[in-house]
Amino acid sequence: MGGESPAEKALVLLRSRLCNHSYILKHFSDSSDSNYSKLKFTLSNSITEACNNSILLLGPRGCGKNAVLDLVLSDLQVEHSDLISVIRLNGLLHSDDNCALKEIARQLCMEHQLLFSKMASSDDNSHFMIAMLRECGLAHKTIIFVLDEFDLFAQGKQRLLYSLLDALQSVTSQAVVIGISCRLDADQLLEKRVRSRFSHRKLLFLPPSKEYLHRLMGNILSLPTDSSFPYEYAIAYNAKLQNILGDQIFTEIINKLSNADSSLDHFLRFLFCAVCYMDLDSGFLSIENFKTALLSIQRQPKLESIKDCSVLELYILVCMKRLEVKEQNSYNFNSIMKEYKVIHDSFKTSDFYAQNVCLRAFEHLIQHELISYMDNRGQNQSVEFRPVKLLLSSHELYQGLKSNGSCPAILQKLIDREI
Amino acid sequence: MIWKDLGRLSRMIIHLRRLSTLRAVNSQRIAPRELPSSEMYHFFWIRRETKVSDSLLGAENFFFPEEMVDEETPQVTKRMTRSCFSTTHSNSSTETRKKSDPRPLSTTDDSVIGEEPTNLDTLLSCFPGRRLQIVELLHLIGPLNCPMLPLFLYGGASTGKTSILLQVFRHLKRPFVYSSCRTCYNPRILFESTLNQLLLHRRNMENSYSSAKRCERPADFVNFLREALTDFINNLKGYVRKSNLKESVEQGDGRMVYLIFDSVELIRGWDKNSGIISLLFKLHDILKMPDVGLIFISNTSPDTYYSNTGYVEPIPVHFPDYKEDDLIQIFMRNQKNQKLYSSFLETVLRPFSRITKQADELSTAFQPLFEKYCEPISDMGIAPNDDMKRMLFGHLRPHIASALNEVFKVSSVSSVKVEAIEDKARRKDSIMKLGTGDASNELDLHLSISAKYLLISAFLASRNRATLDASLFDSTGGSDSRKRRRKSSGTTMEHKENAEKEMLMKGPGTFPLERLLAVFQCLISVDESSVEEEQQAASQLESEDREMRLMSDVLLQLSTLCNANFISKGGSCPLEGSTRYRCNVSEEMAMKVARRLKFPLSKLSAAKFAELLMVYVFHTGSDSILIFHVDVFQTWGGGISRSPCASISAP
Repeated sequence: MGGESPAEKALVLLRSRLCNHSYILKHFSDSSDSNYSKLKFTLSNSITEACNNSILLLGPRGCGKNAVLDLVLSDLQVEHSDLISVIRLNGLLHSDDNCALKEIARQLCMEHQLLFSKMASSDDNSHFMIAMLRECGLAHKTIIFVLDEFDLFAQGKQRLLYSLLDALQSVTSQAVVIGISCRLDADQLLEKRVRSRFSHRKLLFLPPSKEYLHRLMGNILSLPTDSSFPYEYAIAYNAKLQNILGDQIFTEIINKLSNADSSLDHFLRFLFCAVCYMDLDSGFLSIENFKTALLSIQRQPKLESIKDCSVLELYILVCMKRLEVKEQNSYNFNSIMKEYKVIHDSFKTSDFYAQNVCLRAFEHLIQHELISYMDNRGQNQSVEFRPVKLLLSSHELYQGLKSNGSCPAILQKLIDREI
Repeated sequence: MIWKDLGRLSRMIIHLRRLSTLRAVNSQRIAPRELPSSEMYHFFWIRRETKVSDSLLGAENFFFPEEMVDEETPQVTKRMTRSCFSTTHSNSSTETRKKSDPRPLSTTDDSVIGEEPTNLDTLLSCFPGRRLQIVELLHLIGPLNCPMLPLFLYGGASTGKTSILLQVFRHLKRPFVYSSCRTCYNPRILFESTLNQLLLHRRNMENSYSSAKRCERPADFVNFLREALTDFINNLKGYVRKSNLKESVEQGDGRMVYLIFDSVELIRGWDKNSGIISLLFKLHDILKMPDVGLIFISNTSPDTYYSNTGYVEPIPVHFPDYKEDDLIQIFMRNQKNQKLYSSFLETVLRPFSRITKQADELSTAFQPLFEKYCEPISDMGIAPNDDMKRMLFGHLRPHIASALNEVFKVSSVSSVKVEAIEDKARRKDSIMKLGTGDASNELDLHLSISAKYLLISAFLASRNRATLDASLFDSTGGSDSRKRRRKSSGTTMEHKENAEKEMLMKGPGTFPLERLLAVFQCLISVDESSVEEEQQAASQLESEDREMRLMSDVLLQLSTLCNANFISKGGSCPLEGSTRYRCNVSEEMAMKVARRLKFPLSKLSAAKFAELLMVYVFHTGSDSILIFHVDVFQTWGGGISRSPCASISAP
């Protein structure tokens, strides 16, 4: 597409970089103690020495477990192209044993150009899997099972895990089972018979350090100074970027961001937002972009929805707060209405509306999930009688009332008194 | 399955006709989404019906640019959302398919297809007060052919999330797949609808309304989806290449396809939901296709999607409620007489926006008021001066207060008409009163007499303690017993009264079947005795006969009432082991039914019970209770009416 301006091209390039995790990790996987090299060492060892292995990749969400694994696997596929075949399962999709066996059979068939029968029973599939493991073992081909959301496979009878790990015990088979989970206690979830067959190798993934992030940013956001961009533009852009990265304000923004959530994924999302806001006319990133990105990433949804509330809805919230302060253990719409009437009677407010109008406002609040029903029981009971609870802390309510432009002074006063 | 759907559809259409009459007159074209009727609030079935209409409006299209609105009838709204998809890539690979496909249902598609893509200015002007959001969306979706991270649009009802997003895609001319979790109300339908759209499959007579792929499990869905997306994107790429050869496309389709999931908050309510919502949020990582963009639309904020092990959060985009200025701009659109309407808005918007800021609800409230406002004016094109404004305001002011209190009411007759009718009836009454006038006087429940009695007895049983039954239904009423015990002190009286009120606030109580039947029996006998007094001629035999007739199918009636959710079945009582029932009917409703039966329910009304409790329970002779008990016992055999027994133990 020749018609694009360099700025637009730069934007597309940056965005595709940010959406591609393996690109991001590629440049930072060389150090010898990184998870990448550890994982790669273990895997290539088990491939070349034809042994069975099992390993768990643990760590909080968004720390690049999957991305590192993908990187390792793609490297291995280049190095030993016909020695491995990868089977991917996801706990969200295949936590059911039958479903998982079927998926394994399907992927094995795809891999080896066999005909896959949808009608095969789970017993057939299981036998097929064992047979394939044996065949592959004889052919010195390693099957790598990747179980994403490993903790979900550990629900129920764990038949799949058992049969997989049990197959690893035999001499003929040659396979690696890799579990990925964000639960650090994932191996504690296993049954005894499964746990004893598991190798207890674990790799821990942690959120990246600040220095790492800094290097990463410089790498991701800078443009290549080769022929793909006009030379002057790329130079000017990179200089501007270095300027921003060195800025004190920028460091503060990054600190704020990583104080809330320092995972790699969160950080990339932030960068993605910032890049999206790039001004296409000038074609340069600015510090403002990062500021707006921070604001749009770090939202305070509760405050936002209190800000949106109408006056009547605020009244109801304050009434509920008062009831909670009075330590009424359970209250419903009718008790709120009683409280509302009390407020009205004692302060002679102008906002007094009929019950059905209030009920409607009450339902709006439920829709916004500022309040919710105590329990899911009694769904056939009408709304007025179901006990409810407030989902706001008093601080949030206080802040929200302050930020709401149309909040009547009387409510402010009431809530001040309560806190 | 199909017939069930058809039945549902016809019901919806009937309901929508009603809605459309409500919205047709004025020009905001804001679909009233949920219209609760206050006087019939606890009729669960009615409320459910309004939900259904909601689901038909499905896409939550609440605000459309004019050219679409002109042909739009409420039924079309749903079609709209489907056809959006076919529109956006009508010039791509579908073209040939479209021509060959007769598609009997596509009468309205043409208007949509023929439409030119909107440019940015018209897009912005279509949605007053949404400039920030539109610009943000455009930024995040980005230029042609660039990958994106999943987005999460959230904001309250009727803030224009869906319609803005759809219009943005129309503006960008990019292919997308839209499925609303409101219309696709279970995982299977959601999956299949997404796949159908991707595979350009339309359910029709020939394929007997079946989907392209049958898939129930998430695992199958992901596999099918990956296949379909790959095919689709390859098609798009091929198209882009071809069109590049033929002519330079100024702003072509690109090779990205976007999956939009609307109302995802509903998924949380689905059975075994845990998987689906995390699956959708993780779909981007699972698919690993850079050519697919995911967009979620939700009513509730991202922090309401808790899950045990968390999820990778999409990028949030917030749609705040409209401010007052925005609302003015919205309501001023499509108004014939701008000046008149703005002076009208000046008077009404401020008080109403204290109650609600939702544009759809406000528009339904404003429509009758504006009619009222215009009443004194003969020439509708007039531009009002200050005097006139004052005059009109004076004319309208009395109505505002009453209208405020029925903002969300829907009656078969609009409130203004009701006012007019009642104006004629009793001129002297103040207008304030008229607003709350009983619009549903004509409403008749088509229930049999015995069902009505059953309803009343359920109401009584639900609102009162079992210990009160004796004092209420004792034929002698205990009033003739002269020996009064000491009067209980004022404080205990008050205490009991408070407890009573507390209980009423907690909602209707539950009762076993036997108690219901006993109360029912009493009511019937009371009624019959009064009838007999009037008509002495009726013979004993005949009355007995009648009694039997009333009682014969009483259980059948009970199940009818249960089905209509007048009475709900609760869990069984752990002690007695029998099912317990609860009456869901409000007091007004019960009163209405009682009035129809000429039954003096108001005399037994809840307010008097505390008093009754004090006066009667302490000194009703146990003989009379026994008589009552025996009476019931004879009719209904053993094992019933524990409640009168309980009342014996009370003194």
